[in-house]
Amino acid sequence: MKTKYMLWILVVIFTAVSCSIQPANDGPTGELTHIRLPMGYIPNVQYAPFYAAVEKGFFEEYGIELEFDYSYETDGVALVGANELQFSLVSGEQVPIARAQGLPIVYVMAWYEKYPVALVSKTEQNVKTPQDLAGKRVALPGPFGANYVGLRALLGEVGLQESDIIMESVGFNQVEVLATDTTEVIVGYSANEPIQLKAQGYDLDLILVSDYLDLVSNGIITNEKTLAEDPELVERFVSAALKGIQFAVENPEEAFQFCFKYIEGLEDADQDVQFEVLQASMELYQTDPYGYSHPEAWENMQGVLLQMGLMKKEIDLEEAYTNEFSQ
Amino acid sequence: MKDFGVGIRKIGFLVLSILAGLFLWQMFTTFSQIPSFIFPKPIEVWDRLIIVLQDGSLMKHALITLQEVLFGLMLGLSAAIITGYFLAKSRIVERVLSPYIVASQSIPIVAIAPLLVIWLGPGIFSKILTSALIVFFPVLVNTVVGLKSVPRELYDLMRSLQANTWQRIIKLEIPAAMPVFLGGLRIGATLSVIGAVVGEFVGADKGLGFLVNVGRGLYDTALVFVAVFTIVLLSLGLYGSVIFIENRLLSWQKRNGD
Repeated sequence: MKTKYMLWILVVIFTAVSCSIQPANDGPTGELTHIRLPMGYIPNVQYAPFYAAVEKGFFEEYGIELEFDYSYETDGVALVGANELQFSLVSGEQVPIARAQGLPIVYVMAWYEKYPVALVSKTEQNVKTPQDLAGKRVALPGPFGANYVGLRALLGEVGLQESDIIMESVGFNQVEVLATDTTEVIVGYSANEPIQLKAQGYDLDLILVSDYLDLVSNGIITNEKTLAEDPELVERFVSAALKGIQFAVENPEEAFQFCFKYIEGLEDADQDVQFEVLQASMELYQTDPYGYSHPEAWENMQGVLLQMGLMKKEIDLEEAYTNEFSQ
Repeated sequence: MKDFGVGIRKIGFLVLSILAGLFLWQMFTTFSQIPSFIFPKPIEVWDRLIIVLQDGSLMKHALITLQEVLFGLMLGLSAAIITGYFLAKSRIVERVLSPYIVASQSIPIVAIAPLLVIWLGPGIFSKILTSALIVFFPVLVNTVVGLKSVPRELYDLMRSLQANTWQRIIKLEIPAAMPVFLGGLRIGATLSVIGAVVGEFVGADKGLGFLVNVGRGLYDTALVFVAVFTIVLLSLGLYGSVIFIENRLLSWQKRNGD
């Protein structure tokens, strides 16, 4: 009798365990594939295409259940490199840097066409061209990441050195330090800090890095294993994301409405400013064709990183990205 | 001679413990086949350490952090000792200040650190203040407890000897409160390093916290480990210094105990 009960208990446990470890997924016809996507930043309206793609059911249509993860960009890259996650949203410079360190990541979809970094100053500083930066105090989060790479690329392009400016590391406080005149110039994303400052009534001058140099920008990465073993998953993911971008570009107001569900406190924020941030981001989204990254932008990026010493050796760029999934 | 033997045995156990730890670490990273950018092998960390020692960058960043820590410790200690004295001596001061002091301890230092950068600029002072803020509370509490634990009879004795205020402070209160105060200093000294590193994480272009950021940004996990071990070493050095001071200052207590 006792043995019989034990057998039943074992059967119940086995069934429960089997159900819990069953792989979620298999594409459009089967169960949904659960994907956790590190975004590299806090919830923000710039992610509207992804929010829209979920809300409009594009990811579901391609058999994907998407979960947003707002952890650090470098953590996302490392997790994808270790095949703990399949995808991450990262800025372009991360790909050559990570591959040079042996992380087997591959860039499969361009999200931004232009490198989004800009140098922003109040008009009274009279910083109209990169040459005007000489001798100025320039604040950025720190000597790492897209802001630093953008700044160094710009300085290098006009023959200036880092020592020609006074660089100040202020964390992600660029708006505050420029508003309070703690610094003279800040480095930030063209679709973010300048819009916030303009909304506070400041007259600004902007120098866009992309006006001087074509650098590979933000996009989606996967890892070599996923690309080799499950290219169909990559195709499904990229297709859904690109559909989201297209939708957001064609229907910005509707895409903006979807953001309220994902961004806490958005209803209390200045709606006009936030919508402006989205519209400025739209200009960055529009790669031609969607998802395509330019080979010369990769060459330029590698050159800048080597010059900066952030990479010690050249990598084979052919292995670092693919335009196979662009539309 | 007996003490010498005990000392050698202690060092022997320490070396053995470190070697065993390194062996387990090497085994774990070898057999688990975890990639280096997630968990580097001890030998990779060692190689990285040699590189940053040879190019002088580790020393440069460590000295910056040490400077912030020492200034932070001095500032935090001074503020805590002065405030603690008045809190222990005046009930009114205690009633007025206590709510603020206790409330301030529930504010996470990582939330305050970015604001300090905005208020004080990106230079060294914001890191010194972060360090001082984190040192302040444990030292303050121990100063108050130490001063309040001085036996009343000893005050009566000092009064009967017609001691003035300075004599009372120097001859009675400082020696009597010292053991408890030094207990607070042990905690404060270790925390001061964390405070400075948190400040560097938020916005800095030098220091060990910055070196951790650089390592993370370049997926150079071996460099992160080197920076973290240096931070640990710095904390242990400060802790050891306090123990050394404690042994020197409290040797009378030990002698009395004997």
